[in-house]
Amino acid sequence: MLPAMLDDAVRLPASSAQSRLRALFRNFFVREVRTRYLGSTTGLAWAIVHPLLLLGVYHFVFTTVFRAPAFGTQSFLAFVAVALWPWLAAQEAISRATVSLAGHAGLIRKAAFPQETIVYASVAATFALHLLGYVVVLAVLRAFGQPIRFEGLVLAVPLWIVLLVAVTGLALALASLQVFVRDVEHVLVPVLMIFMYITPILYPLSLVPDALRPWVAANPFGWLVTRMRDALLEGRIAPQPADAIAAVVAVALLAGGLWMFRRLAPHFEDFL
Amino acid sequence: MPLLALEGVGKDYPRLDARGGRLRLVADLLRGRAPAGAFRALDSVSLTMRRGESLGVIGENGAGKSTLLKIIAGVVKPSRGRVEVNGRIAALLELGSGFHPEYTGYANIDLAAALLGLSPDEIADRRGAIVEFADIGEHIHDPIKTYSSGMIVRLGFAVATALDPDILITDEVFAVGDESFQKKCITWMERYLTNGGTLLLCSHSMYHVQKLCANALWLDHGKSRAYGAAPAVARDYLAFHEEKMARHTSHAKIAAGEYVVTSLAVVPVGGGAEVDPVEGFDVAVEVRSPDARPPVVAIGVVRADGTPVYGTTSEVDGVRPVQVAADRFAFALRFNALPLLPGHYRVRAHAADPEGMRLFDHHEAAFVVAGTTRELGFCRLPHAWTAAGERAR
Repeated sequence: MLPAMLDDAVRLPASSAQSRLRALFRNFFVREVRTRYLGSTTGLAWAIVHPLLLLGVYHFVFTTVFRAPAFGTQSFLAFVAVALWPWLAAQEAISRATVSLAGHAGLIRKAAFPQETIVYASVAATFALHLLGYVVVLAVLRAFGQPIRFEGLVLAVPLWIVLLVAVTGLALALASLQVFVRDVEHVLVPVLMIFMYITPILYPLSLVPDALRPWVAANPFGWLVTRMRDALLEGRIAPQPADAIAAVVAVALLAGGLWMFRRLAPHFEDFL
Repeated sequence: MPLLALEGVGKDYPRLDARGGRLRLVADLLRGRAPAGAFRALDSVSLTMRRGESLGVIGENGAGKSTLLKIIAGVVKPSRGRVEVNGRIAALLELGSGFHPEYTGYANIDLAAALLGLSPDEIADRRGAIVEFADIGEHIHDPIKTYSSGMIVRLGFAVATALDPDILITDEVFAVGDESFQKKCITWMERYLTNGGTLLLCSHSMYHVQKLCANALWLDHGKSRAYGAAPAVARDYLAFHEEKMARHTSHAKIAAGEYVVTSLAVVPVGGGAEVDPVEGFDVAVEVRSPDARPPVVAIGVVRADGTPVYGTTSEVDGVRPVQVAADRFAFALRFNALPLLPGHYRVRAHAADPEGMRLFDHHEAAFVVAGTTRELGFCRLPHAWTAAGERAR
């Protein structure tokens, strides 16, 4: 006997519930990737072109206009590129996932299925596209003689996974909150922009005035970016205690996001 | 073990206008508190469905039918009560709701089927059958946005037929597609039911409810008003509507006159609450006459909505009343071997002056003709089916 408030998955035999979940995720994922570029002639290329244009603009503004001081031994292009793609993936995944439930309101009102899959697919699609761009850009930079160290991938890949886990948690929380409080998506725009500039993505932590440095350094995303640079630009891949803390925080974010989503999900239909 | 059991299920929709309250609402939900209900869409509904025991849900618009189906389908969480499901449910709340307009019909089958609960293997096995059932030819390879609404529905229903559900939930899906596709759907549905399938149907068509369902549930303002055998519930529901229509039609007010019907009684012959059509019923009327002259009484039988069935007067029949008091006169008559179909009717008695010229006030009494039938109308006309060839001769 199954009580009423089970999510739909449990109403099916366990094995088929699992494969159904995977099938739903795959469907939403493919849809998400395709609809983003469907109808645009260049298609998937946009996933790479857009961040490349951004990188070009930053390069022009910082090295040609501001003539920023040298970043040690590193070139500005490699320095920013290594940090920019993870940031864009996180930022875009959060803002897209936040509105993803409203985009599927018709389905949520008419069919019983685990609605988390919509958020998962939205986050996963964004990450997949930006990871693809990341790999291409790193390879191109390397080919043009920029100091990219591929042995750093040993650390970079786990860092991406930590980022994905943390972002998924945030996305679940924000997406479920957005259903009830429509301001979330509007608040996110300036918040994400401010967050980008207070994170050492376009500048090294060493340029920050001493008084502010502990504050900027406390930014978890700043930590991730620094570790990313350590690995891919310097080749320093030895694990640090902070890595374990980051992993725990990411898992906690995911657990918290999931808890919040599951608490709110039964009421989505009332508000969408 | 029932396939489906609902116990005291209710659903409140929360107030949507409160602005600052939204954050407080989220906080409440996170703490596991129920939101303060504003609109009670459904209230203490209980029902049980066993395998092969189909149920029709009827009621006016806004009575809570869709909410009930959504709760059973698992789309909506009930605010109160218990839902027990022991089987696979396929809910066709809106055909084609999972379709994406940019993709071809073929590509859309996957997600639609996955949403209905098919596993990837099952989808792969049944894709051919789905395409065949939809029968929209080469259009299956065109994007959905180029489809007519009829084609979308065909594909949607085709996906549903590929399922092998224990309970099929449908919300008015028979009113879809062209004539030939409707027939196809009905044929499929009948085969599904013959093979032991269970149907939960929400429909305004009493014909479909009685044809496809053994039981019916009548929802009225979110409450269960009647629940039982489909013919009886459908009959009461139709009578309710006829009465409602009748209330809306304005009656010319009959001037309060001197000749007044003081009592009217309709009693089934042989007792009981309902009238046996063969035995019939007795009518007893008393009329007060101001001048002690014997009045005339007009007796009519009308349907619950006021449609006249038959009427006569004591003057037409040449009957004189019995004087029971100085100013009181009694009439009695019996109707039997009624050609009336089962349903709700009323007897109407008008008092008239002795000349039968002026009608005064009238009294009404309701009665129910017992039985169940799938015949249509209200009156049974004698008929016989003859061999088709005989007519030609």
